[in-house]
Amino acid sequence: MHPTAAPPSRGFSRRTLLVASSVGVAVLAAGCTSSPDEREQVTGRQADELAAQVGVQEALVAAYTAAGAAEPALAAEVADLAAQAGEQLDRLRAAAPGATSSAPASDAPPAGGARAWLRGQVAAAATSHATACVGQSGARAALLGSIAAGLRGQDGRLA
Amino acid sequence: MADDSTGALTEATENAALDDALTAEHTAVWGYGVVGAALDPTAQGTASAAETAHRDLRDRVVALLTERGADPAQAEGAYALPFPVLSAVDAAALAVELEDGVAAAWVRVLDQAVESSTRELAVTALGEAEVRAVSWRTAAGRTPVTTPFPGLPAS
Repeated sequence: MHPTAAPPSRGFSRRTLLVASSVGVAVLAAGCTSSPDEREQVTGRQADELAAQVGVQEALVAAYTAAGAAEPALAAEVADLAAQAGEQLDRLRAAAPGATSSAPASDAPPAGGARAWLRGQVAAAATSHATACVGQSGARAALLGSIAAGLRGQDGRLA
Repeated sequence: MADDSTGALTEATENAALDDALTAEHTAVWGYGVVGAALDPTAQGTASAAETAHRDLRDRVVALLTERGADPAQAEGAYALPFPVLSAVDAAALAVELEDGVAAAWVRVLDQAVESSTRELAVTALGEAEVRAVSWRTAAGRTPVTTPFPGLPAS
């Protein structure tokens, strides 16, 4: 189908493809980064589970550091991924201000296997966030789901 | 979208977000036809697999909304492309647009859903979209190929 044959009113990026990139999601982003979403009640269980995901992400950031220390070449290769994991951690902390920082497990990658080990850590964190997302709602669910997806993408790049 | 009087999440907000996701899935199914046509035959399998995944998801959302008595969005006959697709790199860039659009729609579903089963569907769809997007960003020569917050607007 030739592009020019399409009706101009059906703007690909504006009207159909990016249907969700509107005011609603802009509000969502603000909710994720500033104040708690006030549209629905947050149960104590939800608050605890979100705080737990901060710990999961802290452990992942520590895993990037450990993998990089074990294999310096890997550290350079995944520096952008590590930085993104740090951004995710910052956003999670902002969404769960009551979360207390816990010392990540001092797990270390096996000799010569840092990449595979790191990939396993990324995949496990993604699964953990995705599972927690299902039990949340509103902006917290969106944030956890987005971070989980971002880590799925990291897992794909590390493959 | 949301209940305008209270902003509360309801089945109506969830269905509206699902309908928007359905619209994005319709677009992706159509768009991957364009993507595949611009790729070398050796690379068309990837586009075909992606199209199948979006088609399956589209059908699942249509069934879900129909089951709830909602009126699912229909596909358009054609969509205007955001840029000409004249090469394999253009095709990969279009695929990135498609997956990013779908990701934004599924994040919106997560934001608006009341049913955990819907969130489960959305988070799975979102993750799969981002995995495909990473592959297409690589093919399109984009850097970085990953993004920390798929579907969320830049803050």
